[in-house]
Amino acid sequence: MTATTHRAPADTEAATVEIHDVHKWYGTHRVLDGVDLTVRPGEVTVILGPSGSGKSTLLRVVNHLERPEIGHVSINGELIGVRRQGERLKELSERAILTQRSRIGFVFQNFNLFPHLTVLDNVAAAPVATGKLGKPEAVELARELLGRVGLADRTGAYPRQLSGGQQQRVAIARALALRPGVILFDEPTSALDPELVGEVLAVIKDLATSRTTLLIVTHEIGFAREIADRVVFIDGGRIIEQGPPSEVLDKPRHERTRDFLSKVL
Amino acid sequence: MSVHFTRRSLIRGITAATAVATLATGLAACGGDSDAATTTSDNAGTVTVGRLSNGAAEETTLKVSEVKSISAQLPDAIRKSGKLVIGSGTLPSGSPPLGFVGSDQKTLTGSEIDLARLVAAVLGLESEVKRFTWENLFVGIDSGKVNVGFSNITDTEERKRKYEFASYRKDDLAFETLKSSKFAFDGDYEALAGKTVSVGAGTNQERILLGWKDKLEEEGKKLTIKYFQDNNSLYLALNSGKIDAYLGPSPNLAYHVTQTEKTPDATRIAGQYSGAGASLQGLIAATAKKDSGLAEPLADAINHLIDNGQYAKWLAAWNLSSDAVTKSEVNPPGLPLDNS
Amino acid sequence: MSEPPGATVTLPEARAAAEPPKAVTAQRVLPLRRPGRWIATAVVLVLAAQFVHGLVSNPFYQWDRFGYWFLRPAILDGLLITLEVTVYSAVLGLAGGILLALARLSGSPVLRAVSWLYVWAFRSVPLIVVLIFLYNFSALYKTLSVGVPFGPAFFSFDESKLATDMVIAVVGLSLHEAAYAAEVVRGGILSVDQGQHEAASALGLPKGYQFRKVVFPQALRSIVPNYVNQLIGLIKGTSLVFYVSLLDLFGAAQTMGSTYPGDIVPLLLVVTVWYLVLTSVVSVVQFYVERHYARGATRSLPPTPLQKLRAGLAGLRVRIRQEAAV
Repeated sequence: MTATTHRAPADTEAATVEIHDVHKWYGTHRVLDGVDLTVRPGEVTVILGPSGSGKSTLLRVVNHLERPEIGHVSINGELIGVRRQGERLKELSERAILTQRSRIGFVFQNFNLFPHLTVLDNVAAAPVATGKLGKPEAVELARELLGRVGLADRTGAYPRQLSGGQQQRVAIARALALRPGVILFDEPTSALDPELVGEVLAVIKDLATSRTTLLIVTHEIGFAREIADRVVFIDGGRIIEQGPPSEVLDKPRHERTRDFLSKVL
Repeated sequence: MSVHFTRRSLIRGITAATAVATLATGLAACGGDSDAATTTSDNAGTVTVGRLSNGAAEETTLKVSEVKSISAQLPDAIRKSGKLVIGSGTLPSGSPPLGFVGSDQKTLTGSEIDLARLVAAVLGLESEVKRFTWENLFVGIDSGKVNVGFSNITDTEERKRKYEFASYRKDDLAFETLKSSKFAFDGDYEALAGKTVSVGAGTNQERILLGWKDKLEEEGKKLTIKYFQDNNSLYLALNSGKIDAYLGPSPNLAYHVTQTEKTPDATRIAGQYSGAGASLQGLIAATAKKDSGLAEPLADAINHLIDNGQYAKWLAAWNLSSDAVTKSEVNPPGLPLDNS
Repeated sequence: MSEPPGATVTLPEARAAAEPPKAVTAQRVLPLRRPGRWIATAVVLVLAAQFVHGLVSNPFYQWDRFGYWFLRPAILDGLLITLEVTVYSAVLGLAGGILLALARLSGSPVLRAVSWLYVWAFRSVPLIVVLIFLYNFSALYKTLSVGVPFGPAFFSFDESKLATDMVIAVVGLSLHEAAYAAEVVRGGILSVDQGQHEAASALGLPKGYQFRKVVFPQALRSIVPNYVNQLIGLIKGTSLVFYVSLLDLFGAAQTMGSTYPGDIVPLLLVVTVWYLVLTSVVSVVQFYVERHYARGATRSLPPTPLQKLRAGLAGLRVRIRQEAAV
């Protein structure tokens, strides 16, 4: 496959993501324990951490798939999922949350493509349903994006007729179709056979060069070193350390980071 | 997953419910002609009895006109509506020759229906005949869906608690059995020992049969009673030997005997019995809701028909002359409460 | 039925195989012979033939009368009632079932409880009882009114005018059907992967769109076969509508059977054959509907019977040609 090197469409403004003192717990189990993180526009941030460290939950808090108990997330200064009412934060209506989500891309570990729709319809559906584009424009955009992820010839196929790598590339195109200012990747290559990982990473790498804000949860250390502007290491629901890959990955300051890296490398 | 009910989805739900209601109303509008109701209109002043009888009757046209002195007694509501709603408990299978679908395979005919039409004509009312299941006929009378039941209903003391009667025909019961069977009944229930007999559930004859069953049991003998939802399965059971005999209204059985005369499953009447028990002649009566004020004008109308001879012609047309009564009575004594 | 055709013609090859093994790769493999299977087939065919012969020649069935009754207007009127009641009840029942399923899956405990109670009640009460109650509803309530509970009525109407026999039958069957449909639909919705809800949600698709375009079409894959089962039960359930004074297919046959007692058996056969026809039509429709909703669920669609036939014929032709060539 060939990932072409188009730039992101001009109308997409890379977004700033601010995560402010986010706490999340299930019963007595604390999953996030006061996370602060600011991601600058166009920055590529890779989140690392052992399983159960809360890194996926953090990602799902960003687009309000999970509601934080304390704290908030804002994108370009706009609160996500909540609004301020005096001293307190109040959850938004479901419809308002859905509208906000349509500006945030999300790529799942298990692709979660709609199996009953063709590849083209999977990509074109959201812009039409959210009223951003008319049907013909959405289809045209979908074709363009599928071309960009190297699947121009599979537009009529159904997801189950594709390999895992191809499906994940469709999922990325689907996320791009909403022209999001930020894209969240939740372990995008974990469900793939090893030989298919490369094609997906190539597409993400292409995105990384196109000035879209990316937040990526992954176990691919080599990939993180290659594309990340910043690596964030999370454990026990807290950020243990963060910095450019050359520091966090090569000269970790914390015992826990060293421990983790020694296990995965 | 969780589906949250937002206001939008609620509105959508209400819209859907409205659509359903509209559809239901549409049904109401178009469903009318599929009812099992028939309004028969004879030429003014005449009633033809014994029509489409499939061989059970001889077609006879009678001249009948309203008798004002009788129709004046009708309850106001019925006189104003100009219509007598007649109930026939003959669903799903008919009960020839009393009430059944005629040889055009469409029109409800039968002796009971014909008398009802004659009575309606005397009362100056149009007749509308509706078919029900036996149970629904009575609930129909209760709820006012039906003014009067003409459906081989026996006048009993128990039924008098809820209904009022105008008698019009003797209630004779009979046993039907296969021609090849040796079963015979001369009024003595001992003949039923060891037999399997069918009877209609909820009928007068069921009570009589159950009484005999108790007596036999006291003597250490056995009578098995089997019920069938409809006559068709009953006769299939009789043919196959699952039951020895069927206790039912005499006219029905006579019709069935003639109909099956030339088939391999020919039957015969094995004996008769009065529908009111050993000491009393049972009577079939037009049945209305208690205190509806209908029994009197109904009885007067029937007596009018008896007096002018049309009653006899009606019975003759249906070969039921032996069931004739000399006069119609309001709430005559019927099968007593304790007689079983 | 002598020998399986494949076995006789491969004998020369089998002999050839005994010769020095020179071109092992090109040799044809002899399939295992299965005489048991052939014997079983023969026995079944003989039994089937006997059954058909009995059906045709036994005077008990009176096939001439069957022919007389099969297309009689009285029977066709009944068939029409059966169809009308079935179609209306199936549509309204499914619509009600969807609403009940959504209520059951909603976040509101009240809606959940009401839905659960409804399903519990209508699955417990026999259809006959529902029909008899509805039919005699007017004995209990003379008028129906729409308004605030315990408050003023906005408008009211005479129940017995609105409720024709057909309406009562359809309402009764729909109420009953909705309870079962609710469970079928709920099962279908639950069978859709959680990831689909998340993906739809993450894309910001409007709630209604999520249900109509993402969840429900996928749920249909499991709903369709189960609901068709229901539907076939419903077709036969309509034979109870004589309780509301409607004569459906079966009721028509029963009524005719009492006027013509000699024709009871052929009338029952007429009814049986019509039910067979209806069920067959539904099954064919089911096949194509299922095929439609199978798009994307399997790598390739199951072939239609026509395609199967064509493929079978082509296969047979190839085989005959091969056999002839040997």
